[in-house]
Formats: sequence, structure tokens, C-alpha cells
Amino acid sequence: MVDTEGRRTQLLRGVLDLCLLAVVAEEPAYGYEMTKRLRARGLTMVGEGSIYPLLGRLERNGLVETHRAASNGGPPRKYYRASREGQRALAAGVSEWRAARDAVDAVLGLVEAEVQP
Amino acid sequence: MSKFVEECRHEWKRLGVPDAVANEMAADLEADLAEAEAEGASAEEVLGSAVFDARSFAASWAAERGVIGPAPAAQHFSRRSRMFAAFAAPAVLAAIGAAIVIFSASPSVERQALARRVTFWAPAPPTVIHGRVLPRLRIGRGRLIVPAFVAPPAVSVHVDRGSRTAGIVLLIIGLVGLLASLLYWSPRPRRFAA
Repeated sequence: MVDTEGRRTQLLRGVLDLCLLAVVAEEPAYGYEMTKRLRARGLTMVGEGSIYPLLGRLERNGLVETHRAASNGGPPRKYYRASREGQRALAAGVSEWRAARDAVDAVLGLVEAEVQP
Repeated sequence: MSKFVEECRHEWKRLGVPDAVANEMAADLEADLAEAEAEGASAEEVLGSAVFDARSFAASWAAERGVIGPAPAAQHFSRRSRMFAAFAAPAVLAAIGAAIVIFSASPSVERQALARRVTFWAPAPPTVIHGRVLPRLRIGRGRLIVPAFVAPPAVSVHVDRGSRTAGIVLLIIGLVGLLASLLYWSPRPRRFAA
């Protein structure tokens, strides 16, 4: 029996920091706002780890900058945006991801998969 | 404050996360959870599987932010355990030795030190009968040395008043050492720079 959920978790774990960097590189966002943007693109956090420890790591490594600003009617929120270092890390990470994806596609792309209903 | 955030705060306090950092993380988390709830989203959609383990989540977040050590419990435990053993072992030995001296002594009663002769079984040289070696046991008598507080009154050890006093002092030193070791070993929060 293939643990589909477990594999998805493992795959996402390796690139979730890149996804967060990509989201805040487009436009600054606070925690839950990032979750919503990821969800809108098909990445749900259900079953995965939380984004907060990852945001903490990105902040500690200087890949994101933060500032506080008022949100829509709510309390002031901590907004994250990609730093210059973060943008470089994002570019390098995307290159790595594409290379890995292409290599895996070269192998798995030849397989004619039939998904059982 | 939600129960989840409250548990996180307890964990951050236990880990020694500076109050300012803990307050900031708690406020962000609280605001996000409130917004999600207002939009009809569950906490699990915000926190993922972490929603089932607030303590691990809180520790992980604090560690990733660099406000606590990477594995503070393990490192701290190892060093503290070695210190505890270094202090506690001699203290325990001193306390036990002192207790034996004190409780085996009776300065008010003079008793004759006797060695008790007891019957015991002892191995004897094997006997060869018709080419077969047979082990033998023989009954013998010997001296059995036992502590005075274990043996019956016939067996006693004379301990004078000076030895008893020394034993009491040794016992106090041992107990104080043991107490100090326990106090040192007991968990306490450590603070790191934010």
C-alpha cells in the first residue's frame, strides 16, 4: 500500500520554504495570508507542518524582512517580504527544483500511470 | 486567548523564551487563528498537523527563530546529569557509611564482640569411585562476619562516642550534598538572547 499522503508531505517539506519565499517575493504577507495564497494555488497545509517555524527560520537566516502594519480592520500584523538575500536564495532554489523536477520527470514521465478510481 | 495559544505560551515560558518574543509570536498566532475562524477555516488549515501538539509546535517555532538552543533539553540534561552524578554519588556513599556507623553503635551498652560460629556447606575435593569423579560437599564450621545491626546481640561491634559523632557529621554532610545535587539537577528555565 502506497502512503500517498506521506509522500506528498515529504515532497512538500523540501520546497515549502521556497514556496513561502515565492509568495512573499510577489507581495508582503502575514502568516495566515500566506496560508491562503498557498491554498489558492492548491497547496493546503492540512496534514503538513505549520509555516510558522519555517518563517522563523527564514527570518533568522535573513532571507525575509519583517515589519508591522495594520491589517484590514484587525490588529497590527507582522508582514514578511523577501530580502535581497532571500531573492537570491529563491532564484537558486527554483533552479535546483527545476533540475530535480526535470530529472524525475525523465524517469517517471515514461511511466503510463493508470489511476484506479 | 485560545487554548492552543495558551499552551504555546506555557511552553515558551518553560523554555525561557524572552517575554517580548513570546508575546509577539502569541499575538501573531492569535490574530491568524481568529481570522481563520471568522472565515470558517479550521485551526488545522492554518497550523497543519501541528494543531495536535502545541508544545512541539511552540518549541519548534522558538528553535527556528533562534530564541532557544537547537536541542536545549538534551544538551542541558547530559551536562547536568554528569554534574549530578559527580556530586550525588559521593554524598550517597557518605550518607550510607555514616548511617551504618551510627546505627551499629551503642555507646551506652558495652557488649562483647563475638564471632559467631556457624555451620555451612563447603566444597570438598572430589572423590573417585570406580573411575567416576563425584563432587562432594562437606559440613564445616567457620566464622561469619556480619554488621552488628544485622546480627543478633551476640555479634556486636563496639563503637565509641567519638565514632558516633563522626558518623553523624558524615551523615549530615552526605545529606546536604545530596540535597545540593538535587537542587542543582532540578529543571529551571534558561534564557537566550533574542
